Amino acid sequence: MKVEATYHGDRKVFSVSAFNEGIGIYLRKLPVLWVEGEVTELSRNDAWAFVFFTLKDPESGACLKATMPRRRFDALELELAEGERVLVEGKAEIYAAKGELTFRAVAIERIGLGDHLAAIERLKRVLAAEGLFAAERKRPLPRFPRAVGVVTGADAAARGDVVTGIRSRYPAAHIVVVETRVQGVGAGPRIAAALGRVAAHPAVDVVIVARGGGSFDDLLPFSDETVVRAFAACPVPVVSAVGHEQDTPLCDLAADVRASTPTAAARLVVPDLVELKAGLARLRELLDGSARRVLTHDRERLDRSRDRLRSAPLLFLERRRVALDHAAARLQALSPRATLTRGYAVVRSNGIALREAAATAPGSRLEIELAAGGLTATVAEVLP
Amino acid sequence: MSDGEQTFEELRHELEEIVGKLERGDVAVDEAIQLWQRGEELHRRCAVLLEAAEGRIEELAAGTDDKDAPGL
Repeated sequence: MKVEATYHGDRKVFSVSAFNEGIGIYLRKLPVLWVEGEVTELSRNDAWAFVFFTLKDPESGACLKATMPRRRFDALELELAEGERVLVEGKAEIYAAKGELTFRAVAIERIGLGDHLAAIERLKRVLAAEGLFAAERKRPLPRFPRAVGVVTGADAAARGDVVTGIRSRYPAAHIVVVETRVQGVGAGPRIAAALGRVAAHPAVDVVIVARGGGSFDDLLPFSDETVVRAFAACPVPVVSAVGHEQDTPLCDLAADVRASTPTAAARLVVPDLVELKAGLARLRELLDGSARRVLTHDRERLDRSRDRLRSAPLLFLERRRVALDHAAARLQALSPRATLTRGYAVVRSNGIALREAAATAPGSRLEIELAAGGLTATVAEVLP
Repeated sequence: MSDGEQTFEELRHELEEIVGKLERGDVAVDEAIQLWQRGEELHRRCAVLLEAAEGRIEELAAGTDDKDAPGL
């Protein structure tokens, strides 16, 4: 700060106490202002004139020693606890004997709702700018988790809802539960640690962080930077089921999926056994049906082939038979008998059909065949 | 991969693939019978997994730095 810069002359030499005093004079020119931080290392003793504490920046860890007159502190009746977030009014001061910078407090206020909201909004912008809430970071939930991790408070409600919800859908589910403090001072880091712990379990494939409804203050730890970052850094998908529908703690934005209630979260992480069984039964029907169709189809093909094979010789014979009929008809047409019916006759002599008259002599005996019956005759004369 | 290590999801996926193959119908009879047998086996294993697994709840202590962890 400007303080040191002004009084570091390279030629002038000051005693330590003079230097500290000079710094003190300079510091007194600074205005009274408000500082926000978490109270740590608070020590109050009835025998002391001052109360000592340290203000700590929860994000960066930067510290500032502070003091306040004990009577003034007691008059505030704050009952401050370690880790509480406060606004402190005061100004910088140097403790000359030690050369230590301290913040001389004149007023302390618990941080109010508006301040919390503003702080959450600030943090939200910072984390959003880092991309912690980006849609492309969201991971799909496993359909069949080997084990479901559950982070809840020791209160029975949220835990019971999640466990019952999971078991009613999928009785065989393996559930790994970590209970932790979920509200009050120091809850943030504990929630973050519990999430890390359960996510490190070798079988856990998905984690539900569940917290029933509560006041704004009760849900504050779920907007704690350490918690939001733990959600974002979780090696397995995280389902946030914190508060009621209208609550939007920052952890919801960093979670892979946001569920409106612990029961809804349970429905998201495990399959429904009844549906699974029905689906499996359907698959089996399809399996049998399709296998049967393949076989039936094949048998039909086989039957067709066999039919064709069997019918082949018959066809062959039939064709032969038709051909034979044709031949018979033609044979018939060539038969002399057909000629006889037209009025011709066959003349034989000694059983041999005569073709020329000279083959006979007068007095020869002839046999004459007619279409119906026959007769014999004797040659009277041979004509040339 | 040995069958014993397959998860329900893997087994069901294989079953779905077999059904798909059979439904397309472009398999020989021998193969169809083998696929069907494998499918029946997968179905049986899936059903066993659904029936046999017993649910359990495991409690973990919170972070090691959390002295307030319940159950410790």
